[in-house]
Parts: sequence; structure tokens; C-alpha cells
Amino acid sequence: MANVSVAAEWQLLYNRYYRKPELYPMRWKHVDLARHKVAGAPFGGPVAVIRDDSKIVQLHAESALRKLRLFNSAGHPLADAVWRHPGGRLIGMSWNDDLTLVCVVQDGTIYRYDLHAQLVEPNISMGKECFEQNVADCAFWGNGVVCITEQNQLFCIPDFRNPKPVPLADPMIDEPPRCIAVIEPQYTMSGNVEVLLGVADDPVVLVVEEDGVQRLGEGLLRGPLQKMVVSRDGKWLASFTHDGRLLVTTSDLTGIIIERECEADENLRLIKPSLPEAVEACVDASGHEFDVSRQRTLLRAASYGQAFCSNFQRDRIQEMCKILRVLNAVRNPEIGIPLSIQQYKLLSPSVLIGRLINAHRHLLALRISEYLGMNQEVVIMHWACSKITASLSIPDATLLDILLDKLKLCKGISYAAVAAHADKNGRRKLAAMLVDHEPRSSKQVVPLLLSIGEEDTALMKATESGDIDLVYLVLFHIWQKRQSLEFFGTIQARPLARDLFITYARCYKHEYLKDFFLSTGQLQDVAFLLWKESWEFVKNPMASKGSPLHGPRIKLIEKAQSLFAETKEHVFESKAAEEHAKLLRIQHELEVTTKQAIFVDSSISDTIRTCIVLGNHRAAMRVKTEFKVSEKRWYWLKVFALATIKDWVALEKFSKEKRPPIGYRPFVEACIEADEKAEAIKYIPKLADPRERAESYARIGLVKEAADAASQAKDGELLGRLKLTFAQNAAASSIFDTLRDRLSFPDVKVPFACLMSSE
Amino acid sequence: MAQIPNLDNAPINLISIREQSQKELINILKNIRGKKCLVIDPKLGDSLSLIIQTSLLKEHGVELRHLSADHIQTDCTKVVYLVRSQPNLMRHICSNIHHDESKGLQREYHVYFVPRRTVVCEKVLEEEKLHNMVTIGEYPLYIVPMDEDVLSFELDLAYKECQVDGDTSSLWHIAKAIHKLEFSFGVIPNLRAKGKASVRVADILNRMQAEEPVNSSDMVMPEINTLILLDREVDMVTPLCSQLTYEGLLDEFLNIKNGSIELDASIMGLQQEGEKTKVPLNSTDKLFKEIRDLNFEVVVQILRQKATSMKQDYTEMTTTSQSVSELKDFVKKLNSLPEITRHINLAQHLTTFTSKPSFLGQLDMEHTIVESQSYDICFDYIEELIHKQEPLTTVLRLLILFSVTNSGLPKKHFDYLRRELLHSYGFEHITTLNNLEKAGLFKKQESRSNWLTIKRALQLVVEDTDTANPNDISYVFSGYAPLSIRLIQHAIRSGWRPVEEILKLLPGPHLETKRGAFSNSPSFDSLSGVSTGIAKVPDGRRALVLVVFVGGVTFAEISALRFLCSQEGMAYDLIIATTKIVNGQTLVETFMEKLG
Repeated sequence: MANVSVAAEWQLLYNRYYRKPELYPMRWKHVDLARHKVAGAPFGGPVAVIRDDSKIVQLHAESALRKLRLFNSAGHPLADAVWRHPGGRLIGMSWNDDLTLVCVVQDGTIYRYDLHAQLVEPNISMGKECFEQNVADCAFWGNGVVCITEQNQLFCIPDFRNPKPVPLADPMIDEPPRCIAVIEPQYTMSGNVEVLLGVADDPVVLVVEEDGVQRLGEGLLRGPLQKMVVSRDGKWLASFTHDGRLLVTTSDLTGIIIERECEADENLRLIKPSLPEAVEACVDASGHEFDVSRQRTLLRAASYGQAFCSNFQRDRIQEMCKILRVLNAVRNPEIGIPLSIQQYKLLSPSVLIGRLINAHRHLLALRISEYLGMNQEVVIMHWACSKITASLSIPDATLLDILLDKLKLCKGISYAAVAAHADKNGRRKLAAMLVDHEPRSSKQVVPLLLSIGEEDTALMKATESGDIDLVYLVLFHIWQKRQSLEFFGTIQARPLARDLFITYARCYKHEYLKDFFLSTGQLQDVAFLLWKESWEFVKNPMASKGSPLHGPRIKLIEKAQSLFAETKEHVFESKAAEEHAKLLRIQHELEVTTKQAIFVDSSISDTIRTCIVLGNHRAAMRVKTEFKVSEKRWYWLKVFALATIKDWVALEKFSKEKRPPIGYRPFVEACIEADEKAEAIKYIPKLADPRERAESYARIGLVKEAADAASQAKDGELLGRLKLTFAQNAAASSIFDTLRDRLSFPDVKVPFACLMSSE
Repeated sequence: MAQIPNLDNAPINLISIREQSQKELINILKNIRGKKCLVIDPKLGDSLSLIIQTSLLKEHGVELRHLSADHIQTDCTKVVYLVRSQPNLMRHICSNIHHDESKGLQREYHVYFVPRRTVVCEKVLEEEKLHNMVTIGEYPLYIVPMDEDVLSFELDLAYKECQVDGDTSSLWHIAKAIHKLEFSFGVIPNLRAKGKASVRVADILNRMQAEEPVNSSDMVMPEINTLILLDREVDMVTPLCSQLTYEGLLDEFLNIKNGSIELDASIMGLQQEGEKTKVPLNSTDKLFKEIRDLNFEVVVQILRQKATSMKQDYTEMTTTSQSVSELKDFVKKLNSLPEITRHINLAQHLTTFTSKPSFLGQLDMEHTIVESQSYDICFDYIEELIHKQEPLTTVLRLLILFSVTNSGLPKKHFDYLRRELLHSYGFEHITTLNNLEKAGLFKKQESRSNWLTIKRALQLVVEDTDTANPNDISYVFSGYAPLSIRLIQHAIRSGWRPVEEILKLLPGPHLETKRGAFSNSPSFDSLSGVSTGIAKVPDGRRALVLVVFVGGVTFAEISALRFLCSQEGMAYDLIIATTKIVNGQTLVETFMEKLG
């Protein structure tokens, strides 16, 4: 291509050169832009076109129904939809950041469309005021919109992801503004949107925010503005003045950037560029070029020049080739995304891929992500979901194979997410089949299974995972969804779930737990619950001891007893409950007769002890008989009780009643513990075992008697132990040594009896 | 607080784990601006005292409170609850907030769950209609380093929850904790497990590795070579025997809580009458490190020697003229005087317990039960304890030991002792008995016990144990070698295969497997099979084995493991992890539950 023609395309504007190449001859037919409302998406995105109903137009050979039509940048039709929305005229439409087409109609309703001209539910309303006052105009930005009503009130939706209309401050103007522009929230100081209004006959710009209105540009502007545009980064404002000047100011209207002509720095162009710079320039230029053959020419030149530069980064050219391949692929009229290189860099490859898959260009997206070494998961995932949506007539098993074939290309892809989509499309069985292939986290799979109603599988997977939290998740879900009996049946078959339910219910759902046990026939567990409840009467402040409230308490225990009796395995518990009820009755009586509230809720043994301590031997005897307390236990209890009240006479009498069934050890122990040596000496000789005798003497410090008994026992270990007991007493120590020598026992080591000497 | 142990000598970088936990907690506090009242559940508070100093919390504008049913008294408008994710703790939080509401107090509530938020806790908040009032967060504290070779998951109820309630949350927690360690130290290539819970932990751990793999490519060599998991259920004999090591005895009588004990100041020779003092017990104390694992008998002798030699030196110092270097040595020795005094005081105090006839009688009985020779003597002894209404935990401890070694009691005896227990201690203890039965700890005999076979095959009872110069782990119980540690000894030395027949006699399955990228690598075979080859890590350190006790471990067992480590020819360093450090009493207490 001749150099002259290339250079001739460039025009100087201020201090830069610009050109305006034609990217595509538009392929569309019968689109007269003058009779249409048009919205073009940034970054080489699609174009939306609809007949402008505010203009009177002559209909040629076309339907009277209006159609919303979507094209790619080359005018290649993408999709269309008949426009039959109520709500009055279409006021404005625009593409937002995620390529949703947003359309505002007169009554403040906002309709949204996706790339395929499908209506995105739900519709959004700008609110009651807009409905009543009618929307007169609107201005969009990346993710929001501002509407002005016919009464000059402003409302905005700051973020379509959370579409709540917010009223802005009243600009207090009578006439509609001449022009309107917005500064996006992300570029304002306050973080809220700022609306710029150019008003009639006033040389200022009104800045309207949620909480106030400011006047800007006073003294800077010489008259009202006709048209305003804010730069993408929100820093600059370009405007047309009433007198036909083009003005570029800062967006806060504090300084004028351009109003006059500047001299181009011709000298700069005269500096002869060095070779590396030239190569660099060629590479750069190729990037900005849309024409493929020119790209080639430039790159070839760069490659040639590069050979003569030693320090030029060689991969620069490779990199550029890579980028251009991607750009050329998407610029293809079939795809129709005429991205410039800056736009591509701003947009980033991953967003581009996102746009391609959104447009259902999966193959290209896959190739590009492969070519750029990116993760293909996004593409395959989207493909799989689209495939499911589009394959309503393909049977589950066949579709599963088709999907698996591609899904396996990508290691670690979430089958769960695909399954979720299948479920959303009403293909529950397919979803379940897909989940089965999910090797990953049960944390993702389980909630999904719940959402598709596969509760039993969810419970199984949760149990397998060992994550109790997941099991609870499923448990509560089923609990809420099913009838009690059905729920009980489900968990009864699953031990872990059942145990967890019981643990939780024990704390928080006592009555419900009873129902569960009754329904599953676990009567003994009901019995335990009732028995436990019987203590609630004790905790209840109203239930003071000895009051008639013991009635219901005992009844509960008796009910527990009869439930225990239902099963052979719980005879013991049944008997225990019976005894407990009986004990409470007796204790209640005792409290009445003794007028002392000290019996209820003590054990049988304690009750006997208390009776003896109080001197009520008849009552003690009665308790003994009622509960068939063994003679053994009886002796220990009575001996210790008598020692407690130091009734040594009664103790001696008791010892002589009959030969004690467990000998005299209880008597000795009780006396020694009470530190009554004289009393102990009465019983020690009666101990049958000489070893016990020796130890007992030793405990009350009678060395000689201990030694005598020990020599009878002929126990070397015992001697050693006794010697250590008397370690501080040299005389005693020698007695044991002599004894041991006489009996010829070796020196036996006794652990732990050795005392630390306190030196 | 001197309680935070020094971890400089740990075989893996435990400091980084602790610092991470500190940082995470500080970040939580930083993110809630201004003054705030931090309400901690008391047990968690104890664990946290091993992680972070209270002063550091206060620097971040924190007023500290313990969680209880009582309402919070504070001027702060922000209340931050830091609680373990246990549903019963939610009760207190709910009643706190309801109280504030009733008083018209407007506060901002944050609830941070340890180690993570759970559906069941949030459910409680939801049922109380409070879930919209609280901001929920997580504090992922899974592991607390107790000492340079001991980690705790701080799950004190794990064993009871698994065995009685069927709630296996703790197993997931353990797997998660190990998995977290693997993110720092690499996938552990060899795994050995014995017991139902342990095998399940191994299974969950492998699932986690599949779902969220530790990237093994950037880890040249895993720092931990082998993971051994052991259920407490496999050996319920050992924790019920009275520990006879110094640290073990301190725990038995004075209850070591999170690496320190609290006792009367007078015992430690301090002036403040009637006041309590806290004594930290960890490897930072050099003398303690030297004697903690020894049989107490020996400790007494060592302390006596030290004291005597100190006294001698002092006498020489005052009576003869000394060279400067001799003086220096003496002053150096003097520096250790506070430590010597501390432990002499403690040991002295311990002997007041160890010399009691009741303790000696109990020891005697434990040995008789473990020997498993005289059933009737044991039965009578326990019966008498009940009749005398000795403390219930003491009774149950022996009773469980008796039942476990006999694999239950004949029905007649079982029912009789249960009845005597209820009669003596009250019918409310039926729940405790029920719990013990469910856990298989005190039950009706259904099959013959194989304890004798196990005892003999593994040489658990060792005659003539020399406690002063031990050559076997049996020294920790003066003649009984803990079953758990015997098994681990085998697992380390030669894997499960040679002891497979015995393993089958013990509860639960066993497992031996290779994991991660190394499952096919022959160079990592060293631990398996008959080969006793040593897997040396490149820098010449010994390879590391992580021993995890699912359900708790006692100090005596830890001592026995340290003893194994110190043996010549031992190819491995050991690091021990446990759900909680336990002893017979604390373990039995977790099963005790009154009806009323």
C-alpha cells in the first residue's frame, strides 16, 4: 500500500493526530439511523436499534409492530424481539457493563435484555414519583441510570445489581435542562453519582447529588451549555456552548483545558528517530492497525529492523503477533467485535472471552483461551450450561455423555455447578447424574443436592464427608421440609443423622425428641427423658421441698418406670425408677415428721446416715429394710454415722450386737479417722488379719504393737513399709530392722512411701 | 504470662503456627474498631492463654469477660463473643442479648466461632430470632501448641461425644488440623492408624487432600515422615492407672491445666497466706525438662542430690578460699536455685499425697487389676469403696479399669454394683452409668476377655523394672508398660504387620497406607515392612513422626514416648498431638452426667 494514502488519513486535532478508518461496511439493511433510537455498546460491543416512536415516520414495507434488533459491530444481525411493552414512549436505552441492554420508558419502568434479545426478569421500576410525573429524559453510565421527570425531579438507580431507585436533591428549576450528563459514582469524591445539568439562560452547570445541589463554573462559562459529555474516567467535561464553541474543562469546572488553538511541536517530528525507536514504532503501529495486510507490512519492517538492533526485546514482536491474531479473529465480520488494541488491553483477555461465550462463540473462545494459555474452565462451563439449555429434546443419558466428553477436557471443573444449571432447567435427573461425577468438595455438592431435592443423596454424601456441619445442614433442611413422621423415618435409618438430631434436640427440642422416641418405639429413651424432667420440678422455684409438688414429680418417675418395664432389657432401670419414687415418698414423709427439709434428693445411704445422726434409728432401720440394704453396707453406714456424732458408747454397743459381717475394720477405720486412739484400741485386737492389725497400730503410732503384729504376719514387705512409716523415729526404725533380720527378709523397696527429708 | 511455652527447640516450626493464630485473633479485633468487650467462653480462654498474652488483647481496646448466663456488664457498645462452636454455649449468648434488649441497651454484637461457624449454632440464634442482630465470623484455631513436642486440638469432650452421643465432629476437626499442618509441612507420606475413630480420621484426611490438595510440587520433602493415629478406645487401661512420672503425678493430684498448676502460695514457700499462685510447667524450665518424664521416686533422689550438693558447695564456699573460676561456677549454680527450690517444694507437696495409705492401696489395686489374677479381691475392694462412699470418680476409675480388663462384668455383678452405686450416690447417676455402658467402659460381660493374651504378647507387665536406669517404657508406671505406647513402639519400628494378630484382639480396624505424591515412591518405604532403614532428611536431622491420640493422652504416655525418642538407635523424632491431655479423673468426669 502506498505510503501517501496511509499518511493522508491522519488529521491534526489540538496536539494529536487522529484518523477515522471505516471498520466495516455495515451489513444491515433498511436501517435508517435518523428514524431509529440506537445504542452502541463500548469496547466493540453490539448495537441495539429500535424505531424511534417520538418521530413521525413513514412505514415502508414493514410491520407496524416495532422490533428491537441487535447487531454486532459489523451490522450482522444477532437477535431481535418484538417491542410491545406498555408504559409509554421509550425514553432511552443503553448497554451497561455486563452487556445488558437497559431500556427506560415513560412511566419509569426499566426493561432489560440480554445479548440474545431475551427479556431479563424482573423489570425494574423507577418508583412512584416517576410513574406519576413521567420520565422526560435519562442518562446512563456503566451500571446505573439517572432519570429526570417532567416536573424536573431527579431519580437514580446507582447500581443495577441492587436496583433500588434513590431520589436526588431537587435542582429547583422550572424549565427542563438543556443537557444532562453524569459522573459515575466511582469517580466522584462522595462515592455517589453526580448529575450535571446545563440549564437554560444561566451560565452555570448544576451538580445534583443525593443531598444537595451545587452551582459550578460561575465566571468560567459565558453562557448556557447546549451539550455535555463526560470523559470515561470522569475527569474531563467536553461541552458545546450556546455560541458554538467547543470547550474542554475539568469535570468540576474549575479550569479550562482547551479553548484556543495550540501550535504543534513541529520540531519534534524533525528529530531523526534512532533505529530501535523506529522498530518499536512499527510494532506499535501494527497493533493499532485494523488492516491485516498493513499489519503484516509493519511487522515485517519491524522484524527487518530488529536484526540491526542489538538490544531490542525480541519477544515484543512475538507478543504483538499473538495479540493481533486474537484481535483479527474477533474483528472478523462474522464475530464483529472491532476492538482497538487499547480497548483490548483495557478489557483484558478474560473479559473478551466472557463476551465471546456470552455471544455463544464457544469454539473461538476455547481456541483463544487455549492459545493464550488461559484456564478453559469458564468456557467449557458456559458451553455445558448453554448446551443444556438448548438441548431440551436430548434424553438425559445421551446429553450426559455429550457433556462429559467435553467436561473431562478440563481437570477440576465443577460438575456441581453444571448440575445446578441442569436443575434450573428442570432436568433434575441429569443434575443428579452430573453430581455423581463431581470429585470435589462435598461442601459444594451437598447444598446443591438439597436444592435439587435429592435429600437422601445429600445426606449420604454429607455423612461420607465426615463433616458434621454438612450433616446438620441436610438434617435441618429435611426437618423443615418433611412431615414429622416421614422425617423421623428418614433419620432413624441413618445412625449419624439420628444421633446428631438427638444431641441437638436434647438441648433445644425436648418435647419433639419425645415424639421421635415414641414414633421409633424407643420407650426407654422416653423414660429417661421423663425421669430427667422430674428434676425440673426441683429447679422450679415454686417447688419448695416437702410441698405437694412432689406428687407430679413422683408421677413422672413412675411413668418412666412403667415405660422401662415395657422392654426386657431395662428391668434394672425400671427397678431403679421404682426405688427412686419410693425413696422420694419416704424422704417426703421424713421431712414432715422431723420438720427438717434435709432428706429429699439425698441418696439412700445418705438418708440412712442422716437418720442415725438425728438419732432416729427406727427410721434408719425402716429405710434399710425397704430397700434391702445389705448388712455390709449397713455396717459401714451406721459405724461412720455414729463416729460423726462421736457416740462411742452406741458404737461399742453396735459392735457387740452380733459378730459384724465384715469384721471390725469399719470400727477401727472410723475411730482412727476421728482421731480417737483410745476407741480404736478397743477394736484393733479384734481384727482377724495380723497385717491389718499391724497397719492399724502403726497408723495410731503404736510401734511395738505394730511390730508384734507384723512379726505374726511374717510379711517382709509389710515390715519395710512400716519401717518407712516410722522413718523419722530412729528407735522405731531399728525395731523393724531387728525384726526383719530375725525373720531374714531382704530389704524391700517400697515406692512413694519415702518422705522427702526437709533439709 | 510465663505460661506461653518457649517453642524454639520444636522439631517443626510451631512458632509460625502460634504466630499465625495470634495474628488472626488480632486481626479480628482490629477489624472491629474502637473499644469492645471481648466475651470468651472459659474453656477457650484457657486454651488461648497458651497462644496470646492478655496484655496484647488489651492493647487492642479489649475489655475481657468470661461467657456465662449472667449478663455482660460493660460500658462498651460493641460486644464480641469468641466461643467454640458448641450449641449449648449459644444459650448464654442468647440470654445475654435478650437481657440487653429488655433493658433497652443498644449494642453491636459479633459472634466469632472457633474454629468455624456451624449450621447448628446459627440455627439456635435463628430460633431465638437473633441471627439478624449479630455479625458472625470465624476464628480458625484448630491447634494449640502445648510444648515444643506436644500439640492439642483442645477437644476435651471428643471421646465422650464419639462414644456416647455418636457425634463425630471432633474427627473432622482432627483431620482438618492435620491437613492444615500438611499445608505448612507437606503431605505426610506414611500413615498408620488403629481404632475406628483413627481410621475414620485417616479417611476424612484423604478426602480433604482429594478435594483441596496440598500442592506437593512446591514442597521438596515433607517435614513429617509418618503419621500414627491411635484411638483412646484401643487402650482404656493406661489412662485409668495412676501415673507415676513426676509430671503425671503433678497432674493426678494438682491438675495441670494448660501447662500450669495453681496451688496455695504457702506451698511454694511464698509469704502471702491463703493466696493462690500459678506455677507454669513446660520445657522453658530447664530443670523441669530434665525431670518431668522420670519416675517420681527418682525425681525425689535427684532433687535431694541437687540440694545436698548445693549445700556442700555453699559450705566449701564459706569455709575455704576459692579461685575466681570456682566462684564463677558457684554463682552459675546459684542461678538454678529458684528452679531447684520450686521443684523441691512441689515434690514435697506431692509426697503428702503419695504417702497416704489410701493412695498406696489404690496403686496396689490397680496393679492387681492389670495383672488380672484375683477377680474376687478386686471386686470386694471396689464394693467396699462404694459402701464407704469414697469420691465417685475414684470409684468409677477403678471400676472401669476392672470392667475393661475383664471385657465387662458378669450380669449379676454388673447389676449389683450399679444398684449399690445408685443407692450410695443417688439415682441421678443413672445417666452416668448409662453413658459408661454406651461407651463400653462399664458393661455386662458378653465375651471372654483377651486382656491376658494381650498383656503377655506385648509384655505389658515387666518384672524388676529399674526406675532409676530404665531400659523400657514400663518405668512410667513402675512395672506396667502402657499398651498404647507399646503399639506405637511397634508401629514405628516395623509397622503393623508383625503385630497384626494382637491388633485384631483390640477394638477397631487398623490401617497402613501411603499417601500423596509418594504413594508410589520406593524411597519412602523405610517405615514399612521388615526394613528398619532410616529415612534421613537431607540436613541430617532425624525423620519426624507425628503421633495423634484420638480421645486424649496422659502425661505418663507422653513421657514414655519421649523416653523412646531418647533411646540410642532411635531413628525418629516424635511430635505428639492429642484431642486433650487427660488423666483418669478428667477422662471419667467427661462421662459423668447427672439427671438433675
